[in-house]
Amino acid sequence: MSLYQLVYYSRNAIAGDASVFEAEVDAILAASRRNNEAAGITGALLFNAGVFAQVLEGPLAAVEATFERIQQDERHGDVSLLALEPIAQRSFSNWAMGFVGHSAENAQRFAAIGLTRGFDPARLGGHKMHAILRDLTLEEEAAAA
Amino acid sequence: MSPQSLHAPEASPPPDAILNALPHPVIVISDDGEVIYANGAAQVALGGWIAGLPFAEIFPGSDESFERLIARGSALTLASKTHARYRALAGPPSAYGRVLSLFPDESATPAAIADTDELTGLLKRNGLNDGIERALVAEDGGAGRVAIHCIDLDRFKVVNDTLGHGVGDVLLARVAERIRSACRKGDCVARIGGDEFVVVQTGIASPEDAERLAARLVDLIGRTYVLSGHTVNIGASVGVAVAEAGNGPRDMLRNGDLALYEAKRAGRGRFRTFETGMDAALKYRRELEIDLRRALALKQFAVHYQPFVDLRDDRVIGFEALIRWDHPVRGRVPPMDFIPLAEETGLIAKIGEWVLRTACATAATWPEPMTVAVNISPVQFKSDTLVETVVSALAHSGLSPQRLEIEITEGALLEDTVNVLKTLHALQALGVKISMDDFGTGYSSLSYLQKFPFDKIKIDRSFVQGSDEDSEAILKAIASLGLSLGMAITAEGVETPEQLARIRDEQCTHVQGYLTGRPMPADGIHPFLSE
Ligand SMILES: Cc1cc2nc3c(=O)[nH]c(=O)nc-3n(C[C@H](O)[C@H](O)[C@H](O)COP(=O)(O)O)c2cc1C
Repeated sequence: MSLYQLVYYSRNAIAGDASVFEAEVDAILAASRRNNEAAGITGALLFNAGVFAQVLEGPLAAVEATFERIQQDERHGDVSLLALEPIAQRSFSNWAMGFVGHSAENAQRFAAIGLTRGFDPARLGGHKMHAILRDLTLEEEAAAA
Repeated sequence: MSPQSLHAPEASPPPDAILNALPHPVIVISDDGEVIYANGAAQVALGGWIAGLPFAEIFPGSDESFERLIARGSALTLASKTHARYRALAGPPSAYGRVLSLFPDESATPAAIADTDELTGLLKRNGLNDGIERALVAEDGGAGRVAIHCIDLDRFKVVNDTLGHGVGDVLLARVAERIRSACRKGDCVARIGGDEFVVVQTGIASPEDAERLAARLVDLIGRTYVLSGHTVNIGASVGVAVAEAGNGPRDMLRNGDLALYEAKRAGRGRFRTFETGMDAALKYRRELEIDLRRALALKQFAVHYQPFVDLRDDRVIGFEALIRWDHPVRGRVPPMDFIPLAEETGLIAKIGEWVLRTACATAATWPEPMTVAVNISPVQFKSDTLVETVVSALAHSGLSPQRLEIEITEGALLEDTVNVLKTLHALQALGVKISMDDFGTGYSSLSYLQKFPFDKIKIDRSFVQGSDEDSEAILKAIASLGLSLGMAITAEGVETPEQLARIRDEQCTHVQGYLTGRPMPADGIHPFLSE
């Protein structure tokens, strides 16, 4: 079964104050935990107040089904697909999610999510597309502020 | 009651009302095989505003032209786009064409009219009509509480053509899922044609509720799809109709279709809500279109010519060809009113070619080396026959290429720039001159001037006629730009001696306007020149 990797970023459309943002991030985390492992999906989801950026990898059918669900999600919009390609092997051994941004407040608020999942954005630098994604995420946070 | 009173004119309803009250579809097909009339039932059954469409598009099932079919007898069996079958009875030939009455042929379509669509699991047209009916009843007539959304996919055909029907079918199923996910559980969703969907929204409290769903549908359907490893992008146009008192399914579908048509006209990928007046506007446009289609054959167009003057010696060196449409009933229709429609419908190709040929033939009778300038629409640039047409027009008229000037607007360079530039170079290689028209009004990107060595730039009249400092500065800038790029500069719309004096100061090389000569018919040119 061939493996595929899909990379996108999107605009955060969660309206409301910090607590709403936190609750929605928790909900996304919960859904992802519930679904990804079972579907054989690994990857990473980076987020801040401005954007989401995600790498999904796994069997094509699972990637497509997961992406289709995510596409229908009203919590974000303007989804730009950056890559969809077959890969020889996974870049991520599990699924992770973490806050990437300069906002100290959000960094603290979401620290636990990254930690519990062993998330280290710096590790993303190993892959060109992932490095681009990380930099993009940082720029967009600034633009949204 | 006396027998006469039955026939008193006040007692008979207008024929249009009778036709629209008929329970079965009635259409009129012109001798060219086009639908020129559809009554209310026909619009509902056959997909909305079908007037203006070719017969073959409405009934794609038959391989033969309408003419051939009808030649075999006046009773036909026809299958519509949605596979609904009809027995059709044709009236005798008339000046308008033929009137066709259509009767649903239920006997022949047991499976085809089943209630759900196999591919998507959505309702089909019959189920939709029932669904709307039920929603209206449940909502107490429905006024202001029920809305329908007519959805049409943009670029679906491209997906089908490039990735195949298999992927196309999966895409339709995906679209159906997305539509359903945006709706409430009980709302009915139908697929009524290849890529046409309808949503019946109930329980709305204000028009904004309907708009919110329409916006959501446009957004959701327009998001990228991943299908079997392909990335697929399509869009959706949506027409919304909120029920008004007394509306039935037919009215709602009609209104939704009208709004959909407006959404597409406004550029697709958006929604429009039905408003009273849309039908009148569409009717006007349809009628204009029908007239426009005939105008060439009926010789209602004429070309007039407006002189332009070389400022070095104040002599007339050529004329711009301008189209005129004199309609027997409408009177003179301004180009502004019909050129956009001609472009939208593609009729501009034929009309533009006629203008080009006429102008070349006329110019060939003028003293050498007087030139003629002809406007070419961006749409004409998209066809790959433009160069051929120019070559042929020159050959037929015997006009030397140096005496023809092609005028384009910036719009022509906006899309598909590479191909347009190729065409421009090919034309220039023939010896034809190329000028940039209306400069200063559109995007006025200086990069266009750099991309192609235009022979001439025509500065829009607004800068010539404006007497403020800004216009003056722009005029000056464009003129000196032209000077340094080696392009001639024409100032358009010069009406007063003061404007002319100013133009001279700014080093424009040519003028055109009422002051130096109004547009005149071809036979006015020789007298004008000998004055
Ligand atoms: C930016 C973003 C990323 C998401 N990533 C995932 C994901 O990786 N896996 C997943 O199952 N759901 C993800 N979701 C949530 C889905 O959109 C959807 O809400 C969820 O899959 C529904 O799951 P459930 O049917 O198990 O409740 C994401 C949502 C957003 C807004």
